[in-house]
Amino acid sequence: MDLDTDVPMEDVSDDHSETYQGGAKIDASKSKPSELTGDSVNQLDQWIEKLANCEPLSEQDVKRLCDMAVDVLQFEENVQPVQVPVTICGDVHGQFHDLMELFKIGGPCPDTNYLFMGDYVDRGYYSVETVSFLVCMKVRYPNRITILRGNHESRQITQVYGFYDECLRKYGSANVWKVFTDLFDYFPITALVDNKIFCLHGGLSPMIETIDQVRELNRIQEVPHEGPMCDLLWSDPDDRGGWGISPRGAGFTFGQDISEQFNHTNDLSLIARAHQLVMEGYSWSHQQSVVTIFSAPNYCYRCGNQAAIMEVDEMHNRQFLQYDPSIRPGEPTVTRKTPDYFL
Amino acid sequence: MLSPNQKKDKVIRSTDLDALACRLSCAQQGYFLPMDNNISKLVASYSKYLQFCEGYTNLSASRTFRMAFNDRKFPIINRGTYLRTQSISQIVEEFIKEFGTCQILSLGGGSDTRCFKYVSPNVKYLEIDFPETAKIKKLTILGDNGLRAIVKYEGEEHIGLDVTTRDQFNDIEPDLHTSNYHIIGYDLRKLTHSSEVLQFVDSSLPTLVLSECVLCYASPQENENIINIWSNYFGSTLMSLIVYDPISLKDAFGAQMADNLQRRGINLLTFNAFATVESKLEFFHQLGLKNSKVTDISSVGGYESTGAWFDEEEVKRISKLEIIDEVEEIKLLFSHYCLLYGENQSSRSFRAINNWRWKLESD
Repeated sequence: MDLDTDVPMEDVSDDHSETYQGGAKIDASKSKPSELTGDSVNQLDQWIEKLANCEPLSEQDVKRLCDMAVDVLQFEENVQPVQVPVTICGDVHGQFHDLMELFKIGGPCPDTNYLFMGDYVDRGYYSVETVSFLVCMKVRYPNRITILRGNHESRQITQVYGFYDECLRKYGSANVWKVFTDLFDYFPITALVDNKIFCLHGGLSPMIETIDQVRELNRIQEVPHEGPMCDLLWSDPDDRGGWGISPRGAGFTFGQDISEQFNHTNDLSLIARAHQLVMEGYSWSHQQSVVTIFSAPNYCYRCGNQAAIMEVDEMHNRQFLQYDPSIRPGEPTVTRKTPDYFL
Repeated sequence: MLSPNQKKDKVIRSTDLDALACRLSCAQQGYFLPMDNNISKLVASYSKYLQFCEGYTNLSASRTFRMAFNDRKFPIINRGTYLRTQSISQIVEEFIKEFGTCQILSLGGGSDTRCFKYVSPNVKYLEIDFPETAKIKKLTILGDNGLRAIVKYEGEEHIGLDVTTRDQFNDIEPDLHTSNYHIIGYDLRKLTHSSEVLQFVDSSLPTLVLSECVLCYASPQENENIINIWSNYFGSTLMSLIVYDPISLKDAFGAQMADNLQRRGINLLTFNAFATVESKLEFFHQLGLKNSKVTDISSVGGYESTGAWFDEEEVKRISKLEIIDEVEEIKLLFSHYCLLYGENQSSRSFRAINNWRWKLESD
């Protein structure tokens, strides 16, 4: 479909500030983030503790957190370098309790290094807590955790798929949604693990042949409706060779020939990506030149799928850890709305 | 207090509200052309009368209503609602085209608005549903001049305008009969060869029977019974049957679906008994239905290799209505709903049924 279709949205479409299309400037006077002060560390630890109990931060604190996060993320690269060992994760989608399960399975951060490939918000009921938690961890342990941008880290998509509504419900206004979606513009769009594993949310773009071309993009903007940045966040691998039209209406499908060429050109061993629900939590494509990782078990509380994360050790050995939905002691399952079906 | 069985039935009746909420959302997103203005009339009726239905209080009715209507429906739900509604409507239209003078019999159609589109001097339209559901539809029709005209209601009665208490609601006779339109309040699970409802059904007219998410709430035995009665009732007259039902496919998604619905108190009695398109078709075959065909909604929507039931232009139109980022989920969810066709042993057959792409067929 065409992403430029206006999504009619009450409360939003008339407000100029909320149809903001990005374009924020990087602070040119600095070249690296400010050091965290002892006070900031204490503050962050308090927030993390609160969030770990699935309690959202106050609006004021979200604003402070996001200011701190901009200071970190603006200095990251379009292709953020990441060292092994690292544990690579896919979509989380507001399933906060399953994210806690993920850290149980994979080991606590910062003891384990993590790389998340986007889609923290929408669909699940705890997008606010999930994205707040991950951003807190990022600011607190900037070298231990990498958070990439997914196609749902976008103003337009979050208005359809739940994050906007959730912010409205939990904070009584769209302010927190605005602060977070402004922050999303700064998220790096890809990562490169030890120069060998190229990580991103969606997939390849017909306009990108080399990783250096990704480095040249201006990423600090709303996810565009087309073009290379859009493709990196929206594309999917496909059984058919070459480039194809994506059923999602954004990005492309790409075949094994494309993946192999890209890996060869850029001297890569693997493309790791997320974006697609896979029932076992991970799935190989293109004769192991592409792997899909999906980390939201029982996606949308409806799909019955397993989730997975991929550990990469110092020797570049890979291991997948699969897991099922957490038993949610803190979550009142009785009052939880049944996901929709056709009845 | 409601008995356990009454509670179960209350939950089954409440699924009509879900379906209505889905149709409203789908219509508001612009899926149906032309816009179906009758949907909101049914919604208004429900918001007025649900509180008088069995097992509801004023408070619980407004809570149930809010639950169904307040949350935004995801594009996947709108898309699926459209595919379900339009695929069946296409079949209805072709049936009417092929036979001219005919009869449509909708089982458990509840608040469906399809009747208002197709009832005509040549097309007799009957709907059978739980008495309360029938009542709400009847009150909707009687309270609206446009709908009264469509079903050719010539009575002077303006009941509905002054139903403000539970007693008044209880006193209303659920049935409504006009020359070409009948709504009948009746529990289909009690259907026998001598049921009184049969008198309203014309056994000399080629008839298309519709069951949209209805037979799935009845047991396999009740399914067999209901289908056999209609098959036999029409004898040598053509009876075509369209069934839209969920199927478990006996996979993880199906298990989760059964679990989620169970939590709401909904038991799908055929879900695992006829878990695949193959077993659905086999069931029809065993009942002696001929010319049977089956597909799933994922195929109807063009998400599988068989190709969509809609022309390219229409596929393009609907795919532009909303951002869809649920492609894998769409295939999963839609493949758990099947569309099944069969006809009784009549000398006639519905030829146009072969025009659509089916996944499996049997003689």
